[in-house]
Amino acid sequence: MRHRRAGWMRLCAAALVVGCGRAAPPPSAAQLSALPWDSVVTRARGTTVTWLMWRGDPSINAYVDHWVAPRLLATYGITLHTVDAQGPGILNALVVEREARRIPGTADLLWINGETFANLRHEGLLYGPWAGRLPNAAYVDSASPIISRDFEQDPSGYESPWGRVQFALIYDTVRTPDPPRTVDALKQWILAHPGRFAYDRSFTGMTFLKTVMYALSGGVAPFQGGFRETAYDSGSARLFGWLDDVRPALWHSGNDYASDVAALHRMFANDEIDFSMSNNQNDVLTKVRQGILPATARPLLLRDGTIANAHYVGIAFNAPNPAGAMVVANFLLSPEAQFEKQKPAVWDDGTVLAVDRLPVLWRDRFDTLARDPRALPRDSLAKYARPEVAPRYQERLEADWERRVRQGHR
Amino acid sequence: MGNALSRGAVAFRVGLGAALLVSVAVPLLLLLVWSAGRAWFFPALVPSDFSGDAWALLGGSLGRAAATSTGIALVVGALSGALGFVVGRAIAQLRGWPRHVAAALAFLPIAAPSIALGTGAQYYFLRLGLGGSPLGVILAHTAPAAGLASLYFLGVFSVTDRRLEDEARTLGARPWQVLLRVTIPAFRRQIAEAIALGFLVSWSQVPLTLLVGGGLVRTLPLAVFSYIRAGQERYAAVGALLLIVPPMLVLGMAMVGTRRAAVIAA
Amino acid sequence: MTRSAAFGIAAAAIVASPVLLGVGYSVLASFGLAGVGATGFTTARVARVLGAAATWHALWWSASTALVATALAGIAAVLVGVVARRGRRIDRLTQLLSVLPLPIPHIVAAVVGVLLLAQSGLLARLAYAAGMIHTPAQMPVLVADRLGIGFTLTLAWKEFPFLALVTFSLLATRGVAMEEAARTLGADAWTALRRVTVPMLWRGLLPAMVVVFIVIAGSYEAATLLGPSNPLPLPTLTYDRYLDIDLTRRGDAYVLTMLGLALAAVGVTIHEWVRAWSERG
Repeated sequence: MRHRRAGWMRLCAAALVVGCGRAAPPPSAAQLSALPWDSVVTRARGTTVTWLMWRGDPSINAYVDHWVAPRLLATYGITLHTVDAQGPGILNALVVEREARRIPGTADLLWINGETFANLRHEGLLYGPWAGRLPNAAYVDSASPIISRDFEQDPSGYESPWGRVQFALIYDTVRTPDPPRTVDALKQWILAHPGRFAYDRSFTGMTFLKTVMYALSGGVAPFQGGFRETAYDSGSARLFGWLDDVRPALWHSGNDYASDVAALHRMFANDEIDFSMSNNQNDVLTKVRQGILPATARPLLLRDGTIANAHYVGIAFNAPNPAGAMVVANFLLSPEAQFEKQKPAVWDDGTVLAVDRLPVLWRDRFDTLARDPRALPRDSLAKYARPEVAPRYQERLEADWERRVRQGHR
Repeated sequence: MGNALSRGAVAFRVGLGAALLVSVAVPLLLLLVWSAGRAWFFPALVPSDFSGDAWALLGGSLGRAAATSTGIALVVGALSGALGFVVGRAIAQLRGWPRHVAAALAFLPIAAPSIALGTGAQYYFLRLGLGGSPLGVILAHTAPAAGLASLYFLGVFSVTDRRLEDEARTLGARPWQVLLRVTIPAFRRQIAEAIALGFLVSWSQVPLTLLVGGGLVRTLPLAVFSYIRAGQERYAAVGALLLIVPPMLVLGMAMVGTRRAAVIAA
Repeated sequence: MTRSAAFGIAAAAIVASPVLLGVGYSVLASFGLAGVGATGFTTARVARVLGAAATWHALWWSASTALVATALAGIAAVLVGVVARRGRRIDRLTQLLSVLPLPIPHIVAAVVGVLLLAQSGLLARLAYAAGMIHTPAQMPVLVADRLGIGFTLTLAWKEFPFLALVTFSLLATRGVAMEEAARTLGADAWTALRRVTVPMLWRGLLPAMVVVFIVIAGSYEAATLLGPSNPLPLPTLTYDRYLDIDLTRRGDAYVLTMLGLALAAVGVTIHEWVRAWSERG
């Protein structure tokens, strides 16, 4: 027996060696920024970049796996390793890695925005600054407040924009030929059609609630310029009043809330409810193509304004391969990668580049990029786009919604 | 009831058999149709359209996830089988309160909700540099699997005696010779069953893989969970079929082959 | 304590070590001594979480659904065991069909539960085809329902094969000889079955039922897909807190983890006690 125990201990020791005996620490942001870009590219050659990203959409996966990855390998000799993780999971992973002093860590690139960025930045879990030095950063539409500010925060070089989307409701043109187009009209519609409207208890549902809060408060202005308790108090009081009014007419009398937007889509597609929603106005068309939503499903903008935001890529504080991550981020910003991503048949994710500053060749391509006739016209998207506000609003809203609505008395 | 069944008893038997058949066949058929169904909305009983795109991932990410799961589960089965053999045997020799304490300890990792096991253990795995690595996931899965195997062998060794081994030892065999030549051959079937149990514990694990693997180790159950939460039923169904059809085939063949139910009462 | 006792307990402790270490870390994190945002010893977090009604609702939901699901699976297992207790060909077929779904993981059971039991699932579509309902809203709510009916049925179905397997092995090892002896002593068939075989099965099955109860109560993926939003099942609530975007609330997960582990510890104790009782019998 003693022999076997010694063997077990040897196995543990071996595991420790394998785990801890890793390569020298990766270069710091300052060290890398001292290098010319060409040297960064050279350092990245032959490496692997691990990218934590949401992997739930086959269209996005196909773009990343079958378009981006082979080009990275062919052009830069970089092997892309994608890992399924979402905002809170990414934050959690890095928090625990730091506590366990895991340097270098496991992840290089992170797909993030909003409160995930705010928390990562606040906790010092992001590498940087680096984004400004990417050669393709010169094309970024920095004049757009949607892109240059992430939930009102200055990315300050700690994340690089990747795409932009806008919140939209989803309805069925056959079931609801004349849908409500304002928050007030939506309330009347809900009251007139008991049990046919729902929102989820995850990120998308909370964005919907923020949209309603803006509308009831005369727009986004009262909430801008950082978190203010008074603005939140009056805005959330109006929102919860509105929710109290419509609650009995919501799906399951407002007693149950779908766990995520996928569950909402499932209910909408199967005629349990008449609306779904998405943070990406083009998501509905992708889902129609995938056969998840009915062919007559369309996006719908509320004229009180809907929230537009950008999503970004950041680099983990303990990234084993920051140079490779930068090269990938730069490639994601390239006109060809942004153009491919915006094709309706690929992903239909909005570009973050200022198209008018691109070389003529690319400008023409973007301008002639076929628009899906079912998609929302660009000018109305721009007209109704409202920026995000400080992430604290969302955190407070989530906690209060949970207490007052989800667990509320009935 | 007697030897000849009454008519009522026959009807009851047939009804029960039909219910069991439905409980096995309906989920399989449902998953099979979903795995290729496109645009399948209420109240349609059959999909309006079909697509093989999810099955095509057998050659891609789902195939890789299945390979990862198989490899991890095989190692977990072997590790937990070996560990359970030693621990179960040691506990079986105890009497009185130490036996109860030891059995309770061995039961803890099965009883602890995986989510609790994962949140509590994540820190240590990262501290050891095992977070996000297949080795870490293997060790994490081995915790509940070894607990189960220990209890299984405790059951086995509680009802068997060690006379044969003692005899071999008095005839001059060394301990390792007794182990290799007598004990292991005598318990071949039980060892195989314990390995199968450990395999299944690992094969179906979600929270531990999620927390210790950090998403870097993408097993089949993780892929199914991720797809169903993203509303991609077609892909989830293919993954689900991959998860259940091979083990069910193996189990069915084993049961028909031995013409008896495997004894795994813990 | 003898050497073999020490070795036996030490060996078991190695198996239990991940849990013991996890408990240690969870205790530290619960009292503000470890984890993100740890600011030194405080009982405020534990008091806050244990003082919240949502915590106890979650525990109650998870424990009560697990209890009902275990009872359903146990009754079904005894029923099938009694019916198929002789070695006839049809008995072997019944046993095969009962045990075949054993390797189905929780996640797959949950996916099947959603596709089958949702208000627009296969059952609802069959009801529509039969003219019993016209819209999904007319279908009883079985998924994400407050009572957890869909969760309970799905988990009972998922755990039935395990209990059936234990039943069959009890019959294989202890057999029906006692029952036949009772019959030769003059008991009628029904009395012999009711007085001899059924109690033997219950007694033998009870430890396995305790295991099943604990497994269902701790099931994360099925509870997340099939459970309600109010109350959240305990494992779902734990994981939600663990990944809370508000880092100050993340530590709450460790208090909930302790609660889950405490439930498991109670289960372990009951299991040990029941097993000793069952083996004596």
